[in-house]
Formats: sequence, C-alpha cells, structure tokens
Amino acid sequence: MATNPMHQFNVYRIGPEIKIVGTDISFTNASLFMMISAFMIILILSLGTKEKKLIPGKIQLISEMLYDFITKMISDTAGKKAKPYFPFIFSLFIFILFCNMLGMLPYSFTVTSHIIVTLTFALFIFIGVTVIGFAIHGFKYLKIFVPSGVPILLLPIISIIEIISYLSRPVSLSVRLFANMMAGHTMLKVFGGFVISLGLIGGWLPLSFSVALTGLEILVAFLQAYVFAILTCIYLNDALNLHH
Amino acid sequence: MKNFNDFKTRLKIARSKLKTGNSENFDKKGKFLGNAFKLGTELVAAVVVGTIIGFILDGWFDTKPLLIITFFFLGCVAGILNVIKTAKKMQR
Repeated sequence: MATNPMHQFNVYRIGPEIKIVGTDISFTNASLFMMISAFMIILILSLGTKEKKLIPGKIQLISEMLYDFITKMISDTAGKKAKPYFPFIFSLFIFILFCNMLGMLPYSFTVTSHIIVTLTFALFIFIGVTVIGFAIHGFKYLKIFVPSGVPILLLPIISIIEIISYLSRPVSLSVRLFANMMAGHTMLKVFGGFVISLGLIGGWLPLSFSVALTGLEILVAFLQAYVFAILTCIYLNDALNLHH
Repeated sequence: MKNFNDFKTRLKIARSKLKTGNSENFDKKGKFLGNAFKLGTELVAAVVVGTIIGFILDGWFDTKPLLIITFFFLGCVAGILNVIKTAKKMQR
C-alpha cells in the first residue's frame, strides 16, 4: 500500500452505496474532504468576524487579510464592474486554497488532484462568464472573436483561431490546477518511498529532498489557488469590458 | 533612556526591512512562478483543444486526416497567440 505512489489518489466509498437513477452518488473520501474544508472555512470566517475588535486577533486578522487580498485582486484585474462577483471569486479562491492545503497533511486526500473536480470548476466559470458576456453585451459579445484592424481576407482564419483560444480556457484552467497538485503529491510520495527503501545509510538525501519539496508544495498550493482566482477575474474582465 | 532609543532605531530598521525586503520579494517570486505555470499550460491547452475540434469535425464531414491536421496547426497558432497575449498582459 505504502509503496504505490498513486495509491493516495484512490477514491473509495465511505458508508452505504447510494444510487439514484443508475448514478452512483455515494459518500466518498473526496466528498468527506470537501466537507471538511467547507466546515473549516465556515469555522474560521465566522470566528474571525464574530468579535469586531479595533485591534484584531489572529483569526480576525486572517479573515480580514483574505478579504483585503481578494478585493484588491478583483479591483486590480477586473475593475469596479466586477464588484458584484466578489462573493463567487472569494468562495472559489478560499475553497481551492483549503482543499489544496488540507491535502498537504499526511494521510489526507487532495480533492483538487482529480481532473473531474477542477474541470467542473473551470467549466462552471467558463459557462458563467460566457452567459454574463451575452447577457451584458448581447450578440455584440461575438466581437470577442473578431479582433479590430484585421483584413477581411484573414478574418475567417483569425476568428477560428480566436474561437480555439477561447475554448482552450477551461482546459488550461483545469489541467493546470490538477496537474500541479497531482505531480507534486506523487513526487512527495516517490521520495518518501526512496527514504524507506534506501534505509538509514542512503535515505538522508531523499529525506532532505522531501522536506524541501513539502515547502515548495505549500507554495504551489497557495499559488495555484491564486492563479485560478486571478484567471477567473481576467476572464470576467474580458466579458464585462469588451476591448475589441 | 539610551537603551530605549536604541530599541527604537532597531525597530525602525527591522520595519523598513520588512517592508522593502522579504514580503515584496516573495510576492514577486510567487507571481513569476504563477506566470510560468500559466504560460506552459496555455500553450498546450490550445493545441489539445484544436486537435479535438479537428477530430470531431473529421467524424462529421468524413474527411479523415485532413481537418485534424489543419486544426492541429490552427491550435498551435492559437496557443502561441495565447502566450503572446498573456506575456503582453504581464508586461503592463
């Protein structure tokens, strides 16, 4: 069990099997860790906002910093018009952050290391942004595929290229998060396996690598949540303010 | 009294270090790393999507190898375009 580096990504059922119209919706370890991270977010944020001290305590400081961080990010990348979407982007960022960080604990499960989870996030954002774009600009939103100042002859090719690049957004968004999390956790496990197999004499080198990689992985876990959120802001910006 | 002054100046120095040194440095490094991840996947994703579109269209129009090749190259172009766009956004 311990030697297989991919074993940590297994999804297994907890409790009874539940089936509705042929679809398996049983409670799994993935759902368990999603719920744990959701509960932790609710706990920390409600504790942080319970006492509104002038000089904040530790938990209040964390929640205020998170709020400030996201507010600044949205106003920097998407402008004032994106203010109504703050709750969505905040929840997205903090949920991915907590899922990633929970995955760093030993014996835990990383929800975001499964492409189905990240693809669901990405497709939701992609469809949502497209709907927002059409709702605000109507059919003028299709101008996003027609850059200004392009000769008529080149226009069909350019718009096909633009459509491909538009459709590639959810793919790049989801693959980035999934690949980073999965690669990092596999690497950690592989080096951990080396420590065991090389024993007391040779195991120190992989052990030091493992320690360094853990630090890197914590950085990556934060960064990927940040990148996911900031790209959502950028896509939102494209939908809200048509530049072409 | 002298001790007190000494502490004050030390605090000042430490604070200025905190402002200009570490935190900003981390911020910048983190941003660079994030950008590097961004560029890599952006290039690959467009190629993948282009090839998939070509594959599907080939099935529809029965032109087996033709459209998949065309759309593969269009996907490459779209990927490079994506990278250029992101790089331009970074420089701003």
